[in-house]
Amino acid sequence: MSESKKISRRAFLKAATAAGIGGITLGFPMTELAAQQKEKATAQAKPKKKVLGVDVIKIGGQGVTSGAHADYGWQILAGSTLAIEEINAKGGVLGSKLEMKFMDEELKPAVAVKNARYLATDWGAHLLFGVDSSGSAMAVGPILPELDRVCMFVHASTHRLTEELVAGKGIKQIFRISVPVYQESILASHIFKEFPNIKRWAGIHCDYEYGYSTWALFKDTLKKYRPDVEFVSIAWAPFWTMDFSPHIAAVMAANPDAIHATPWAGEGVMLLRQALMLGVFDKIQAWFQCMGGSVDLLEGISREVEGGKFKDKLWATARYIHNYPDTPENKKFVADFRKRWNRLPNYSAETAYSTIYVFKAAVEKTRSLKTDDLIKAIEGMEIMTPGGKRLFRPEDHQAVYDVPGGKIVKDPNYPIPIIGDLKVIPAKTYYRYPPFTPIAIGK
Amino acid sequence: METLAFQGLVGLSLAMYLWLLASGLTIVFGVLGVLNFAHGSLFMLGAYFAFTFYGLWGINFWLAIALSLLAVGVVGYLMERLFLRHIYHLDHAYQLLLTFGFILIFDDAVKIVWGGVAKIPAMPSFFEGTFSVFGRLFPFYNVFIIGSGLLVAVVLWLLFEKTWWGRMVRASASDREMASAIGVNIPTLFTGVFVLGAMLAALGGALGTPVRVVAPGIGAAMIIQAFIITVIGGLGNLKGAFVGAVIVGLLSAYGILLFPVFELFLIFVTMAVVLIVRPKGLFGG
Repeated sequence: MSESKKISRRAFLKAATAAGIGGITLGFPMTELAAQQKEKATAQAKPKKKVLGVDVIKIGGQGVTSGAHADYGWQILAGSTLAIEEINAKGGVLGSKLEMKFMDEELKPAVAVKNARYLATDWGAHLLFGVDSSGSAMAVGPILPELDRVCMFVHASTHRLTEELVAGKGIKQIFRISVPVYQESILASHIFKEFPNIKRWAGIHCDYEYGYSTWALFKDTLKKYRPDVEFVSIAWAPFWTMDFSPHIAAVMAANPDAIHATPWAGEGVMLLRQALMLGVFDKIQAWFQCMGGSVDLLEGISREVEGGKFKDKLWATARYIHNYPDTPENKKFVADFRKRWNRLPNYSAETAYSTIYVFKAAVEKTRSLKTDDLIKAIEGMEIMTPGGKRLFRPEDHQAVYDVPGGKIVKDPNYPIPIIGDLKVIPAKTYYRYPPFTPIAIGK
Repeated sequence: METLAFQGLVGLSLAMYLWLLASGLTIVFGVLGVLNFAHGSLFMLGAYFAFTFYGLWGINFWLAIALSLLAVGVVGYLMERLFLRHIYHLDHAYQLLLTFGFILIFDDAVKIVWGGVAKIPAMPSFFEGTFSVFGRLFPFYNVFIIGSGLLVAVVLWLLFEKTWWGRMVRASASDREMASAIGVNIPTLFTGVFVLGAMLAALGGALGTPVRVVAPGIGAAMIIQAFIITVIGGLGNLKGAFVGAVIVGLLSAYGILLFPVFELFLIFVTMAVVLIVRPKGLFGG
């Protein structure tokens, strides 16, 4: 696994340089240097007559590319790069090539805001996309009207982004292509309301916006269907938690029947492995690892799944799963992605890939790069993507599409575990709809 | 009651990682007078080297740990000989700037060499398994960590109290000029102490690899807690670092169990109270 990762990274760097589409930013000075070189290159390009009046459409992206969550940023970068290469190979969008610059948001709202400002004003991005962290999203959202740019959020998942900032405050520049915490909370309640023996739930959650909103929505929804359910303990883990054993031991002290957990990426892997070490799966009936369907997590626990260590009790979902839906679009995407990067795409790769195609469709529809025109073009847009047909609801700019939940299992057709035993529930039945009733969130 | 005892055991294993990290930090400060901000980076390098030797190259786990200590020892040697040595006589602000610079350099260096994506090596099979204690299941690996922490504490105590080298170190820590006058080779001694500190940090990082995650930035994430520990225990005091680590480990474990809403706050409040009551820390002179 590590060997193939190395190759794909090297291949990636080479390709990114050769294709001249941005690159991994390793720090601010290097970013600036890259920007200067890029500008020189752009200036040298021969001006031709274009429908849009520009040689290149500049797309500014962000994700976390350092730390335990770095794979998400990498996947966003890989997915969007693949889409841009495909589109540029076919002549670009209305004769203009796509160019991307990608920056590390470091899961820090202040860094994400600084990056967004830099990308929109200094670098001159026409369109923005990205951010991994919900905290960063809630900080970037409010400055978009001032920057006068559309930003497609590809991962950050607090429901407040679309419910409060778009439907509530009317910040029309925000769109979200990925399913919000409805997935880990409301879908999970729909799945687990069917288990009469699971009555005592515990939570191990991220100590920030994402964990708060997921846990609040999960409790709120499940309680409606199952008044007999109790929420017996909760532990909050901040970013950079290295050792989850105190959290696991603390919630297990209340003898829960099941655990609902949000720590994601490398932290999710650590959490699950440390839970195995503490013998948790001998005691509980189910563990719902919210974003456990993400490729990096599946890779990280592959050995343990193969060895049957989770005793068929590990459930998960994601914002897209590489083995769903069974459509030609998805098969092609997964095959192309594997060919290009030598790995499977996780959901942030699919959402980033589809984002570029949404941008393409919007620009082609309005034949303009003006933010107001683009907003109108994306509102109500229906588009086929690898993750299935997506509809951008005009009321809150949230993409509606179906992603199932299920058990993490080994499948001979894939090198890493997949989500099997799929519970497909139509998004329309579990998404929240405006007017939104606020949910009290917090610790 | 059993719940509290079990949580204490979990807190103790947490404390031992912190102790390994804080011990090196406090030794280096006590003897060299340098507050090494990059100490966490040495911890991170230890984890990366152990991952490379054990996880990538498949070298025997114990040998991989030993090799990673050696590798970080070399890094520490170069850091001290080429950089730190030149600023001992300068103000603390310069040391802060230099060592902080090292954090940035090391973080970017590991990103270039190993990439930004977190590494998660397999657990050696002989560590798998649990045993029953206080009616709950406790992992063997945590017992091993607690044992390692205690062993390091004993070895360090013997080293500083019972060996000639330890006496020289203590002598130069209490009076550098006098020690030099009676023939202690201070520069060589300082290099040795710094290398020892670096290797302790590396040990903490390396021992964590089977259960934790190896990623850029883990050093900076850990160093704050190490500072809190040394402040509570008394900067430069080895016994203080041990007690401080146990206090912080137990506080976080019990905080998560009993006060999940303000667990982090608890540690900072403790530090503040110690600073008010004993400004030089519990064991500070």
